[in-house]
Amino acid sequence: MSASANNPQAGRALPWALVTPALGWTLLFFVLPFIAMGFSSLTAHEGGGFTLGNYSQFFTNPSYWQAMVNSLQVTAIVTVVSVLLAYPFAWILAEQVPERWQRLALMLAVLPFWTSYVVRSYSWLLVMAQNGVINRALTGSGLIAEPLQLANTRLATVTGFVHFFVMLLTLTIFANLKQLSPSYRKAAADLGAGPVRTFLHVVLPLTLPGIMVGAFLTFVLCIGDYITPQILGGNNELLMPQLVMMQIGRRGDFPLASALSIILMAVVTIAYLACARWLKIERA
Amino acid sequence: MRWFVRIASWAYALAVYGFIFLPVVVLVLFSLQATSFPIPPFTGPSLRWYDAVLSDTRLTSALVNSLLVASISSATAVTLGFLSAWGFARFVLPGSGLLRGLITLPLTVSYLIIGMGLLVLFNWAGVPKSLLAAGIGHVVINLPLCFAIIYSQMGDHQINIERAARDLGAPEWKVLLLITVPVMAPAIFAGFFLSMTFSWDEFVISFLLTRFETTLPVEIWNLLRSGLNPKTNAVGSLVFAVSIVLVVLFELTLLRRRKA
Amino acid sequence: MSVTSASGNPLSVLKRHLHAACAATALLLGAGSVAEAADLNALIWCDHSDPALLQPFEEANNVKVNVKEFEGTGAGLAIVEQSQPGDWDVMVIDSIDVPRGVEKGLFEPLPEDKLPFADLFAQVKMDGSTVVGGKRYGITEKFGYNTIGFNKTKVDPADMQSLASLTSDKYKGKVAIYDYYLPVIGMAALAIGKKTADLTEADLPALKAELLKMKANAKLVGEVTASQTALATGEVDILVGGGEWVTAGLAKENPALDFSIPKEGAVLWSQSLAMFKDSKNKDMALKFIQYIMSPEGQARLATSSCYWGMPSNTKAALTDDQKKVLRFDEQPGFLARAQAYPAPNADLDKKMQDMWTEMLQAK
Repeated sequence: MSASANNPQAGRALPWALVTPALGWTLLFFVLPFIAMGFSSLTAHEGGGFTLGNYSQFFTNPSYWQAMVNSLQVTAIVTVVSVLLAYPFAWILAEQVPERWQRLALMLAVLPFWTSYVVRSYSWLLVMAQNGVINRALTGSGLIAEPLQLANTRLATVTGFVHFFVMLLTLTIFANLKQLSPSYRKAAADLGAGPVRTFLHVVLPLTLPGIMVGAFLTFVLCIGDYITPQILGGNNELLMPQLVMMQIGRRGDFPLASALSIILMAVVTIAYLACARWLKIERA
Repeated sequence: MRWFVRIASWAYALAVYGFIFLPVVVLVLFSLQATSFPIPPFTGPSLRWYDAVLSDTRLTSALVNSLLVASISSATAVTLGFLSAWGFARFVLPGSGLLRGLITLPLTVSYLIIGMGLLVLFNWAGVPKSLLAAGIGHVVINLPLCFAIIYSQMGDHQINIERAARDLGAPEWKVLLLITVPVMAPAIFAGFFLSMTFSWDEFVISFLLTRFETTLPVEIWNLLRSGLNPKTNAVGSLVFAVSIVLVVLFELTLLRRRKA
Repeated sequence: MSVTSASGNPLSVLKRHLHAACAATALLLGAGSVAEAADLNALIWCDHSDPALLQPFEEANNVKVNVKEFEGTGAGLAIVEQSQPGDWDVMVIDSIDVPRGVEKGLFEPLPEDKLPFADLFAQVKMDGSTVVGGKRYGITEKFGYNTIGFNKTKVDPADMQSLASLTSDKYKGKVAIYDYYLPVIGMAALAIGKKTADLTEADLPALKAELLKMKANAKLVGEVTASQTALATGEVDILVGGGEWVTAGLAKENPALDFSIPKEGAVLWSQSLAMFKDSKNKDMALKFIQYIMSPEGQARLATSSCYWGMPSNTKAALTDDQKKVLRFDEQPGFLARAQAYPAPNADLDKKMQDMWTEMLQAK
């Protein structure tokens, strides 16, 4: 991006007038709320004095701590499984499907994206219920005698998440694969590499940064999501967003909810920094 | 070997398509259920639940609210995003990298945290919960997106066109409206469209920041909490249908633009 | 997050403009809420949002009823605290929690002569909590039991006469727990032979042990819908904390659903209506309460789409079928064995919620 086109006629006022609305909005409705949340998290729910108690609760109460562990486990599983499922799929769409059908194939692959987000989780509940479609099919065909417990488990939560993120990652990885210039592959072939080696040594490394971006997006969206675990998990375990919403919904305890949100955000930041560094090394 | 790859590819793609479509098919099928539970056996087809949805004023007004919030917040986000992208791309500003980072920062933060922050802030400032408050939150999540998309598309050839216009004596605002906006239209349109999508489907910010008047995802959530019934399927199927129509329209306008 | 580093410079600017900015925003957003003054604003549970209940009142009085749903008194009071005085007109609140609202100076005394007190079931008037300092602040509108809801074709009804069955191996994996801490903790108290009204911090370990035993038997812990669904669709056969509020509304779809009041007793839930002291529309608020308490209003509330429950007015205009499903005639016997919701103070309440969180997290 070249920013060299500044022209002498324009005063100093114009550029600032252009960027100030967006910066102001971000400061007023993103940074300021975050500061307010920081203050709130240091306030006692009863009485309102200064306290570190909201943070210490997280570290001393094992069931709060467990929520973070659960969240990280679920998010990690979801991210890995989604990437592993989406990559071959995106590759097939980009390489095996004839060019003229690719757009349609991709559209089809992301179509369910357009059902309402709340409804999507709910549909999985219908699919996985004791008397749901899967169990009916399995028991009806005689494969199993007793219906499987699918709904209201971590498996259900993960399935709901993976469904969404496979669509998202297919999109990003597909775009990545299409951006690869065919000349790379040709060069690899000319140098005598077979398709497998070309893929491992050329295609995969070149698409890795894109995968990392997609994986990070998955991580952020997944770890902050309330709906999917709330609808599909059957409350057999709590994830961080559920714990946060519980403080608001049950007790109106904003300070504790703020503290838990900030801790969650800190974890996302660590993941971001880890990812960012990793990406940089890849590029170097 | 080639054959094997082809067959394996087809099998895999079909399996993934199956996985992706399974819940949607179940959703739509059981929206036509005649009895009160959207689980097998199928007792339909019946349109009674669609009837129930369309006569439910809370759902229909939530739908209108959602459309309003989505279009107004997206228009705001895309306007702010475009102006700032233009500012950063065309002029040298001190601390530009840092400021651009600030604008895109909300992309890396969960919606839940953005909603929580606004809730605490509005609560503290005495701002009542409303659709407007939710709309503000939606601009926060969509502004970075619009900015990133438009900024990344501002290339050198547009600079040259703008410079030509300036050399011919066009004032800055004319350059912006008559040159930059039309040239950047695809990126602006993409930003607006993506923002609409995210706002239309956003739950947690609306849930935390609205009171009586609320958006469709929150109303669907309320519906879900008040009992499992095929009405939820019907409303979901309707949303799906409307969305698909919009996507197709989008594709058609985009394709036409390309051919033109 | 780099928020801190990125905002280092703008921070100082921000601080100066902080209050101006907030005030401006408040003004901007406040404009939207002025128009609501003529409406009736009600803070309610989901059963009051049924159009079949609200529409007749809205049409008769030419008023729009705005409703906001909440769960749990703590959350409800928090919503009030975040609002401006006069934002709310009426509130639905657990009868036992009426004093909490009165202590905060929120409620207006109700005129007893204008409400049908003589027609209420005597045991659910709950004068101990709805009357504070000689003035009545709440009127019970609906009640029922948190007890054992079950599918009578799948379990032995005789077993459902004892809370011990909930933790027995016989029903392992067949149980769902209703996700609301107070009534289920109340049931755990009954199971270990405690009175719900006498619970103290010293009882928590024993209660926790009982809850964990229930959890070990449970397939899921669900909110109203999730637990209703699980029972109705055969996902589970027993719902801990269930009662007529789960089974009655589903009776038409699944007549096998039933509830029992076991020998140890059951937890009585009872919801009251209260009027806000700062309401700008007290006449309409009273009219609303009168409507809900009228025989027609009571029948509609009792059979609301979100959940059914016993009307507190003995003269509720219910059909014979509806009465049968609600077991209207058996109420005196049920009420005699029921105990009120636990009513912990703020400190014990927090500890009970943390205990509940632990139960949810237990594997």
